[in-house]
Amino acid sequence: MFFRFNNDLSRTIVDNVEYVVYATHMSNFGSFIRERREHLQTRDRARFSLRRIAQTIDIEPSYLSKIERGQQPPPGEETIVALATQLEVDPDVLLALAGKVSRDLQLIIRTRPVLFAEVIRQLRDMPDHAVLRVVREVRDGNW
Amino acid sequence: MIELNHDHLVFSFPEVHPSAKLTIEFQRTLRIPDDDKIYPLPPGLGNFPLRHVDDFSSKVPDEWIEHGGIMLPMYQSEALWLRFNPGHVQNRGDYPFAIRVLTGKIDAVNGQEYSSGLQRNPSQNYVVSPGQPWLDGYCIRKGLIRQFVAMPLGEGYTAEEQVTGSAEHGGLQLVVNPMKREAFEKHFPEKKPRANVDYEEDCNLPGRPRSTLMGQLLRQRDVMGLAPGGKMKQEIYRDRYDFLDWDHDTSSRCFVHIANSKVWHDVTGAAPPTMPPTAERYSRAGLPWFDYYDDSLSAIKSQEPLENLVSVDKMMQKTFGQALSGNKSCDPEVVVTYRTQQGKKDQVREGNF
Repeated sequence: MFFRFNNDLSRTIVDNVEYVVYATHMSNFGSFIRERREHLQTRDRARFSLRRIAQTIDIEPSYLSKIERGQQPPPGEETIVALATQLEVDPDVLLALAGKVSRDLQLIIRTRPVLFAEVIRQLRDMPDHAVLRVVREVRDGNW
Repeated sequence: MIELNHDHLVFSFPEVHPSAKLTIEFQRTLRIPDDDKIYPLPPGLGNFPLRHVDDFSSKVPDEWIEHGGIMLPMYQSEALWLRFNPGHVQNRGDYPFAIRVLTGKIDAVNGQEYSSGLQRNPSQNYVVSPGQPWLDGYCIRKGLIRQFVAMPLGEGYTAEEQVTGSAEHGGLQLVVNPMKREAFEKHFPEKKPRANVDYEEDCNLPGRPRSTLMGQLLRQRDVMGLAPGGKMKQEIYRDRYDFLDWDHDTSSRCFVHIANSKVWHDVTGAAPPTMPPTAERYSRAGLPWFDYYDDSLSAIKSQEPLENLVSVDKMMQKTFGQALSGNKSCDPEVVVTYRTQQGKKDQVREGNF
């Protein structure tokens, strides 16, 4: 990995909150990525074309087209994460839409399965703002 | 609030603006030769792993727990650079931040010892993102820096020891101030109407209780600071905003401790990243170096404490009569140039093959 900038030099990182909200209303992986890609095409037509995105994440354009149309199941985790980067979406959102959980999360759960299963069940019905309270802050001390 | 997210340090100021978020990455890189030649920007080789110091309270020095913050592993004489990535506000632009970067509580921009607050006169003590995409070292001349290189604290190499004469703090300290919301909205007017995104107020978590075990695995000699390495072409840009545009009443700060990679596994149970290649091997492989220009911004001048820093190799030769290992000169042949201008579409050009 030899990079300074990502492919997008303007580094337009969108507010993921918007897409988490958006994603929860979309049940289909293919239609979500298609709509997202077409939305980004209004900003840069060439960069977010189906062909260019497919080339960037190293898959055939025809395969991506079939995924978008729901004729192929979602690809593997690595491809989904690469696709999420290109589409400026949180990878966990795309993985969830594909019915997958990232490997790092699986590893975390496997280390303490009973505890984390219980935590997730307990948090299931909590409102977002309450769940966000569980996010851990970096503590500042006395310098 | 500050969070760790996949080895990214994320500063958020939801009380100022829902998109007032700054992500800072600590990039592994190769150490440029410390040979008085001026080098272009070296590549990023991936992020350093970041951990909460509180998670290893029985294995790190008490001072680290007192300072709070995070820690990362570096080998002796390994280099790093910082990448700043501001949050984007749809239809407006990237949210601006003033970022202070200190090593051992010595400001890497103007060389002054830490005191709270932003300063613009007589010398600017911060960088501005967007505008400053990266910081690789200490500003020693206008347009020239000396690379951040990790060295054991207490052996006289670090900028902190060279400026203050004492080895007290080590590590790296970050202080971030967001732009005031009204100033942001003035400088970045909305391009087209759009519904606001709701956000929730974040709440503080109580600190984790300290472990009572005091068997510290990480000894004083494993505590690292940052020292000046080889010379690199990098401009540190002058703040183009009004000084009062910054929210001087709102800031977050983080102490970033540096542990010797040799003991990282003993402390955290995880393997540290591998040692980066030497600059000479990297160049010989024909891999790219980088250059960056922003034609719309002007560079700040350097300040005396940093101009007088002695590089690691020079000090090693003076003190021990031996040269820094892996310090062979190289001639970067592939240099990728990024040229950008605020508010205009970025352009990329490859040159100097």
